[in-house]
Amino acid sequence: MKIKTIVISFIIILLFAFASVDKSLFSIPKNWPKPVYNFKKNQLTDSKILLGRVLFYDPILSRNNTISCANCHSQYTAFTHLDHALSHGIDDRIGTRNSLALMNLAWHQSFMWDGAINHLDMQALAPISNHDEMDENIKHVTEKLQASQIYPLLYFNAFSDSTITGENTLKAISQFMLTLVSANSKYDKVKRMEDSFTKQEENGYRLFKQNCASCHTEPLFTNREFENNGLPIDSLLNDTGRKRITQNNLDYLKFKVPTLRNIEFSNPYMHDGRFKRIYEVINHYTNIQSSKTLSPKLQKKIILTSNEKVDLTAFLLTLTDKEFLFNPKFGFPKEVLLTSKK
Amino acid sequence: MKKPIIFILLFILKWNGIIAQVNVCFNPMFDGSKLVLNKQYFIANSTDSIQIEKFKFYVTNIELFNNDQLLFKEKNSFHLIDAADSTTFNLMINLEPNINFNQIKFNIGIDSITNYAGAMGGDLDPTKGMYWTWQNGYINFKIEGKSNLSIAKSNNFVFHLGGYQNTFSTLQTIQLPVQYLSVFKINMAIDKWINEIDLTKQNHIMSPSKESVILSNKLSTIFSVSK
Ligand code: HEC
Ligand code: HEC
Repeated sequence: MKIKTIVISFIIILLFAFASVDKSLFSIPKNWPKPVYNFKKNQLTDSKILLGRVLFYDPILSRNNTISCANCHSQYTAFTHLDHALSHGIDDRIGTRNSLALMNLAWHQSFMWDGAINHLDMQALAPISNHDEMDENIKHVTEKLQASQIYPLLYFNAFSDSTITGENTLKAISQFMLTLVSANSKYDKVKRMEDSFTKQEENGYRLFKQNCASCHTEPLFTNREFENNGLPIDSLLNDTGRKRITQNNLDYLKFKVPTLRNIEFSNPYMHDGRFKRIYEVINHYTNIQSSKTLSPKLQKKIILTSNEKVDLTAFLLTLTDKEFLFNPKFGFPKEVLLTSKK
Repeated sequence: MKKPIIFILLFILKWNGIIAQVNVCFNPMFDGSKLVLNKQYFIANSTDSIQIEKFKFYVTNIELFNNDQLLFKEKNSFHLIDAADSTTFNLMINLEPNINFNQIKFNIGIDSITNYAGAMGGDLDPTKGMYWTWQNGYINFKIEGKSNLSIAKSNNFVFHLGGYQNTFSTLQTIQLPVQYLSVFKINMAIDKWINEIDLTKQNHIMSPSKESVILSNKLSTIFSVSK
């Protein structure tokens, strides 16, 4: 009897070992919280990640085959849209919001500035269907993919099934996005005792913890909540933020707290891209517009001398992760997309 | 020693297919007979007319009861029923033999947990056209058509009902008495539901909203069981 139970528990342990995430594809950085994404339902494999990456870079997802995810989420800008306050979409229509940087998405519960999307898998549907963005719909996309030369094979490699479904398409795109983990900035190295801050950065870190960390919480540099950080509303766009989704007045002007990792490269800033430079952002925080839904965390006025502002900026620059920004694993999959004729 | 034998026997019984099968047939109706898509129907006592062009909805979480006692709960119970495809009307349920039920319970729509669960396949695949993308979530119930009463472009009306969050929850639980065992129909009097809507004032719902909740709540009265 005993041997039997031991054998059974051994088998169960083995099964769980295989069910958990392959460490070489995704690992949780030391001292980070547990990811929110349920990897058991979408287990990472090399071939699925590759498929997701190809889809991410392929304009086949848009109606006239001109725009890919990467157009608005480019690697060198931490997967956001360089230099466009409001992301440009198909036919150069202008969307109503600044693109979000993509990283560490496995730790996020909801997506978009207002949290309109409740699961990473479903995120890709939004740009595929929105009139202002890729202007396609997922059914037509799967038909186009099925008719293409490369995709049935890529899907077969990934899912042992060359029939292209919406489910597999979305799961593959998620897989690629899940691998976009940024955890190797100077800040991370200092935390791991592999490097040390300069005096200036050290002081900036102190100021950061004092004034910013309640929302831009370490190690993700976001508390993953919706907050009103005191930006005056742009009367033209009239974007009410989270309230749009909950229709609750308490959520008026609340937006998702974005990460500050790689902030050096992800400008312009804020949901409408109103600020181009980090110093403009810091000046905003010392000059906040009060309103009914202003976060209690910002009720006390932030006062910073000009030297302190420089120090704070120096600290923010330690969040740059060059390895992430230039990792060829996240780049355009030339080996697949250039060698194939569509 | 006895137990394993019983298990093996049960296993063999199942293997041989000695299982009771119940065939539940959903039957969308208009004016007392089977709904015909794109047919012009006249609204009672008037010259106003209506055509249904699309009619699709989710039946989920099917359960069978004997009075209050739960006898059967379908696993993975998600069925998309589409008036344009009559093969979707028939749902086959496999039961252990000798289950005597007198109630059927099911949901119209997709529960909140499933709405949070990410990408899924089969009838839940987003290519089925029952998914909202910009604010994500399933459409529980979809009806589109034309009526001279609608003041929208080309006299269209479009009702996509759904929503799963808090006050915008639209999931409907339907419970019906059943006195037939192996085959029965679940009739849906669509005209009864449409008549509750003033099409001159309302012709369009395409997101989670109060209106979506109100119209969803009215669905519960249109179901009945027959042979
Ligand atoms: C036309 C530009 C554009 C394209 C193309 C585009 N996006 Fe986005 N993306 C945006 C914008 C703008 C936002 C923020 C929108 C909002 O909050 O309303 C965003 C947000 C996101 C987010 C949410 C991030 C977060 O932290 O909440 C993810 C994930 C994402 N996009 C993935 C994708 C994928 C995958 C594709 C391709 C299928 C894609 N995007 C195509 C502009 C674009
Ligand atoms: C009350 C919570 C809160 C506090 C405290 C806070 N922020 Fe923010 N921060 C936000 C929110 C919310 C946004 C997005 C607002 C929007 O776009 O409407 C944001 C946006 C930013 C952005 C732009 C990021 C991007 O990708 O667009 C930067 C940079 C930033 N904050 C830096 C700081 C600094 C520096 C401090 C401390 C001086 C600070 N924040 C304090 C909530 C906060």
